[in-house]
Amino acid sequence: MRLIELEGLELPKKRSEEFIKVNFEDLFSYDFKNTKTYELDIMGLKVVKDEKNYGNGLFNISKKIDSNQVVLTINSNIPEPICLIHKIKDDETFFVNSLKIEVKENVKASVIEVFTNTSTNSAYSVNRNFDIEENANFEYAKIQDINEKNYFVFNADINQKKDSKCKITNFEYGTGVVINNYINTLDEKNCDYELNGLVKSFDASNTANVIRTTHNNENSISNINYKHSLKDSSRAVFKAISIVNDKALYTKAFQNSNTILLSNDAAIYAQPHLEILIDELEASHGATTGTLDKEQLLYLQSRGISKELSYEILLKAFEKKIYDNIEDTLIKEFIDSYKRQSYV
Amino acid sequence: MLEVKDLKVNINDKEILKGLNLNIKEGEVHALMGVNGAGKSTLVKTLSAHYDCVVTGGSITYKKKDLLEMEVADRANEGIFMSFQNPVEVPGVNNSYFLKTAINEKRAYAGEEEIDAMDFLKLIKEQTAKYDLDKKLLQRDLNEGFSGGEKKRNELIQLLLLNPDLIMLDEIDSGLDVDAIKTVANVINSMLDGKKSVLMITHYDRLLELIKPDYVHILNDGKIVKTGDYSLALELDEKGYEGIGIKDETN
Repeated sequence: MRLIELEGLELPKKRSEEFIKVNFEDLFSYDFKNTKTYELDIMGLKVVKDEKNYGNGLFNISKKIDSNQVVLTINSNIPEPICLIHKIKDDETFFVNSLKIEVKENVKASVIEVFTNTSTNSAYSVNRNFDIEENANFEYAKIQDINEKNYFVFNADINQKKDSKCKITNFEYGTGVVINNYINTLDEKNCDYELNGLVKSFDASNTANVIRTTHNNENSISNINYKHSLKDSSRAVFKAISIVNDKALYTKAFQNSNTILLSNDAAIYAQPHLEILIDELEASHGATTGTLDKEQLLYLQSRGISKELSYEILLKAFEKKIYDNIEDTLIKEFIDSYKRQSYV
Repeated sequence: MLEVKDLKVNINDKEILKGLNLNIKEGEVHALMGVNGAGKSTLVKTLSAHYDCVVTGGSITYKKKDLLEMEVADRANEGIFMSFQNPVEVPGVNNSYFLKTAINEKRAYAGEEEIDAMDFLKLIKEQTAKYDLDKKLLQRDLNEGFSGGEKKRNELIQLLLLNPDLIMLDEIDSGLDVDAIKTVANVINSMLDGKKSVLMITHYDRLLELIKPDYVHILNDGKIVKTGDYSLALELDEKGYEGIGIKDETN
């Protein structure tokens, strides 16, 4: 099965501005031997047909192969995060999975997902819908640890009702070819949306984050904050667009990407972008790229700390802000103690 | 302990030290004075292997070892401590964690066991209480948001806990009030056990009043041009550089 040969499937074009610099040509043309739906190990969940028209073509891949969508409804506060572990084992296989998480009115809930694999030349296309109802508070953390010679496409469509809060934190640890695609259209008032990511890459990993946020109503906040630490010949793309339309008065829209390049061959393409149609708002965007601060490195070494350990300490300090942003202490503990070998 | 011979150092391809000689023996206190740009900071930076300094000639022997062959961290673990003029802020690195790591790196270098958390806390409590240093600084991130005075106090805490053999103070008195200068002097004087040596850079007599140097060197245009005892600092304070026959070559 080749994605480019699937009838009726409109895939993003290489030249499309939204996906510029994103490496999906190999994925689209690769001939996978099998396609499979990855079944979640939870009994009794409702399954519906996914009829939604999404903001871009990447969502259609999973839908085309299997249009069924599992629905996880959270009706009351949950004291501990729901934890979903995905392990891809079969080689030469294209997996799909689609899950809608509904967080009901006034409910506080959190979910962690871990994506790992032991496969070779496989791909995993994942669709997520987060429907967060009025005054609900949803925190989501994702660990992506898909290794080389595998592809991972993660599409998230977020729908927030008024006064809701959605905080998403991504930890991109894998060495495969990874595309994260986030769409949030903030149609209601007083929504709080925070999207954080730590891209910690090495070897020849290739990780793209394509983020589209649209403000269509008053008083909402979007805060997108990514940190990349790139070693070896790893590549990353950060492409974020936040649109503030004319009815979205008093919006707060922020985008930030910080990158540390730890080798001459590592590279980042970072493009934060704002499209603003009103004056009554607060907005900022920025991207920095550099190496570790040599003055800080010298200071640590001048107190007897070896060069290697000084590097490690400063890198951890750089990454720390993403960990610190996590609100749920149980999610924090989970991320802190995460080790790939425990899940593969 | 330290022997600098005919040291020549460039910064950005400009020769700053032009054949400097200096000999510091165990237990001696040396003060380095000179006009701005004379090369005082370049000397201490070179001794601690600052990346700006390119040694183009001469030699530095420390404890009978070739210092120029040693890495930055090894120099520190061999007992060289430089108090920075303006210590860099390191957000995200907890000050206490940093200090404990530094102590343990030094211990590992000397083949000693790591300090455990309880002993570390005890040591901090003892040393900070002795000199009325605010140990709350250790709960914050390393130098982040510290005032000028807090940064200098933090350098003193590090100095006390790392217990070096050669203490280099690069204008530690700049920007400090009278009481803070007294604290600096108390810490340094208490550490002088006849074996530790001090090399301090200062523009002012006040610190020298409190830490009496055995030798005062005047540095001009990359060389030590005059050496004397504490009376040279007093003379300098009274007459100025021109008054003691030093012509500013930097302009």
